[in-house]
Amino acid sequence: MKTASIDILPMAAVGLILVLVMMMIAPMVMTHNDTPVNVPQTRTSERKVEENATITYTIDGQLLFNDKPVADLAELENRVEMVVVNDPYVLVVVRADKHVLHSDVLDLLATARRAGALRIACATKRQKEQ
Amino acid sequence: MHRRIRSPLRKNELILTSLVDIALSLVIGFIVAVPLFFETGIFVSAPGVSRAAADEEGSDIKANIFVADDGTVLLNEAQVSYENLADLLPKLLDRSLERKVVVAAGELVEYDMVMKVLDIAKQSGAADLALLRKRRAN
Repeated sequence: MKTASIDILPMAAVGLILVLVMMMIAPMVMTHNDTPVNVPQTRTSERKVEENATITYTIDGQLLFNDKPVADLAELENRVEMVVVNDPYVLVVVRADKHVLHSDVLDLLATARRAGALRIACATKRQKEQ
Repeated sequence: MHRRIRSPLRKNELILTSLVDIALSLVIGFIVAVPLFFETGIFVSAPGVSRAAADEEGSDIKANIFVADDGTVLLNEAQVSYENLADLLPKLLDRSLERKVVVAAGELVEYDMVMKVLDIAKQSGAADLALLRKRRAN
């Protein structure tokens, strides 16, 4: 006697592929890492996939907020403030090139703080274990 | 003479092992690759402006690190190498209640050097990392 059966294998395969694709795409959509920056490498780091506001500072002194150019620190403060007003607990990530001066990065951090950011992180890349 | 009878079920059987193997390999590969491809981060307390140290007297053991312009590292005003810092800092933080590390640096220090110090502090068990900057004359 034949029993009715559903072939779930293709569905499972498609589901798995969808999950993988979503896992790949989610960090790209939620973060703003389009501008290439040589961030410092560290052994310890925390990875949080959440929507964030990103301040990027390149080796040639270019300043960007969410991958859009910013003229100066005053404008940056306004832009960060607009984001912080909507969500006070938004994560502000500072992506600075590892060869820029630390004092310049401090200015960026201080600007984010002045704009009311409560959660600030410095972007790093995980160092490969030797 | 025996005649071999093939079951009709056998013909439709699916070999799941290879598919599961590939899917599992993909998942494992993805989990391993994620930290290498994507950026991570170190959470810091936003820079505070240094004031006179006298008004912040407390009983807790402090871990103050200063990176000078020439790359010299001072831990609580004693010069240490990066290797020594990684040895001494955990011992210091074990005796501290807040486990807070305050890092300051000279004007000409590269960001990478400060991040290296923050990384060592994090590895040593620092609970809170704070960056300090000098008050600027307006």
